[in-house]
Amino acid sequence: MNDDAVRAQWNRVRGRLRDEFGEAAFKSWLNPLTLADVRNGQVRICVPTRFLRDWVVTHYGDRIRTLWSKENAAINGVDIVVLPTSGAKPNAAANEPTAGKAPPPATLLPPCEPTAASEEIGAPLDPRYRFDNFVVGKPNEFAYAAARRVAESDTVSFNPLFLYGGVGLGKTHLMHAVAWHIRERNPRRSVIYLSAEKFMYRFVRALRFQDTMAFKEQFRSVDVLMIDDVQFIGGKDSTQEEFFHTFNSLVDQGRQIIISADKSPSDLQGMEERLRSRLGCGLVADIHATSYELRLGIIGAKAEQMGVEVPRKVAEFLAHKITSNVRELEGALNRVVAHAQLVGRDITLESTQEVLHDLLRANDRRITIEEIQKKVAEHFNIRLADMHSARRARQVARPRQVAMYLAKQLTSRSLPEIGRKFGGRDHTTVMHAVKKVEELRDADSSFDEDIELLRRMLET
Amino acid sequence: MADPTQIPMDFGHLPAFSDADFLAAASNAEALEWVRRWPAWPAFALALAGPAGCGKTHLAHMFRDRSGGVLLAAASLTEDNVPLLAEHMAVVVEDADRGVDEVALFHLYNLLRETGRFLLLTGRQAPARWRRALPDLRSRLAAMPVAAIHAPDDGLLEALLLKLFVDRQLRVGPDVLSFILPRMERSFAGARALVEAIDVAALARQRPVTVPLVRAVLLGETGRDG
Repeated sequence: MNDDAVRAQWNRVRGRLRDEFGEAAFKSWLNPLTLADVRNGQVRICVPTRFLRDWVVTHYGDRIRTLWSKENAAINGVDIVVLPTSGAKPNAAANEPTAGKAPPPATLLPPCEPTAASEEIGAPLDPRYRFDNFVVGKPNEFAYAAARRVAESDTVSFNPLFLYGGVGLGKTHLMHAVAWHIRERNPRRSVIYLSAEKFMYRFVRALRFQDTMAFKEQFRSVDVLMIDDVQFIGGKDSTQEEFFHTFNSLVDQGRQIIISADKSPSDLQGMEERLRSRLGCGLVADIHATSYELRLGIIGAKAEQMGVEVPRKVAEFLAHKITSNVRELEGALNRVVAHAQLVGRDITLESTQEVLHDLLRANDRRITIEEIQKKVAEHFNIRLADMHSARRARQVARPRQVAMYLAKQLTSRSLPEIGRKFGGRDHTTVMHAVKKVEELRDADSSFDEDIELLRRMLET
Repeated sequence: MADPTQIPMDFGHLPAFSDADFLAAASNAEALEWVRRWPAWPAFALALAGPAGCGKTHLAHMFRDRSGGVLLAAASLTEDNVPLLAEHMAVVVEDADRGVDEVALFHLYNLLRETGRFLLLTGRQAPARWRRALPDLRSRLAAMPVAAIHAPDDGLLEALLLKLFVDRQLRVGPDVLSFILPRMERSFAGARALVEAIDVAALARQRPVTVPLVRAVLLGETGRDG
């Protein structure tokens, strides 16, 4: 028997399997099967894992055998064997944690790319953080004006510029915008932007490699030094000391320093007094919590930037509900948009509430069977006692079936347990009810909407 | 001898974590899709949130292999190892909702973000609900995209049962599965606990997994049902 003929037969078998079991099942279970060989009337089919082998043998074994013998009368048996695909690593299992135990500490592999020798001492700038997409409103207009002024002047007017405000209000955005602006206006001015934590890491590393001279030189030769989140060197004495000297040296040379923090200089914790007073001796500008109007403006700007259509109602809902800060507001919008794109649907108020349910509510309530019975009884206007009664009249039997169906959908109770809560019924009664409601939902769209409404009411 | 049954020893078993072993279903479709779509993510960081035993660890391993990143338990994350971890293309922190060094996680987040690398966190709840003291971290977590894994449907439960049995090298027939399905607690954790109880019972009695054995275990568990 030639190979091509066998391949053609296998392809037909696969085609039949796909038709009979549907695309989803085929993709999950049958697509990974590969034909190994045919010998002495025995077909050998490979699967990549043991689990898949068992699943295929249990669910599709007989059918595959039958289809093969229809294709080729000489076939009298099908053997499904495990053959790991070439990509699998033979000893991967040895590194896996066993169930119930925490994974072992990660082995720190060599970095995925070598760090360049002439490494940038600053952090890269985020191209999305520019002045022209910083949404200005009452709460941040002063900080914005101060940042712009520093970015646009070639002489040092106030030193340092100290920007502060609560978490996620746009300090980093302003800092990056200043750095971009200066670099674009005058590419020869060297601007270093980095977070205080990074400054600390660099300094600690320089100490470790006894390389503090190079460290000092790097930082003391810049035209503009920008340090973000300076509160993170609070309590770190040696880093503060080094920072203090860097600061003074730059100020003496007439270089610009821009600092951001979550609090005003006088409120910074664990900061030496002399440093605190230096930080506050230039211009101190604060960013206040956002207002509703500003939040609405931010959503509009961000949506435009992402190129998506956000319904007015959704924008207002977000501006109304996500009041904590800009980062969370943008994060929320990002989540809503990403979800809509993933599932390929439009953004609606309902989808927004569903996607952001963890932000909007502190907890998911655990729904009980009793609650479901009560709600369903109210909805269909029957007595709660009828949920447990033996009455079989349609006007009580149907709501009871709906409640059983919802109990299965919304709780993890076993079917026998659900049956017990409905007047000691058997689990087969519950299964019948579930099947019945599923059929009705398919057949009757107003019934379907009714059930969806009940589910929503129970979940919120 | 008073008790003829043997005391079973827990020799442990290795769960299979490859792509082919993952049980795709409606309840985890979103999470699986984001892992597959990497690096086309809506942000550099993503959280997988779902109940115990729902496949977070499995997805985390798939992502680790896919991204060539590194995976560690939250408890292993320290300020000291952050800079080294952040040099990987991606970092997975498992169970980041419990017992994590907050400052270390904050630095890791910032370093990965700055350098255009990726972060995957897993937890039982969405990060917005993790109790975190550090405001800067809390706000970053709250802004993260989340892929939620929901309660399993019947098809997934059946596949999950079979996978759990196979992981323990137990052979079960379709009759056993169709007996269990309508009688079990329908959650990931419920499936796990039940398969473990059946495994223990089968070892103790030195009997294969059959419907009568499963019935006995279910009876013992609930005291009522058969």
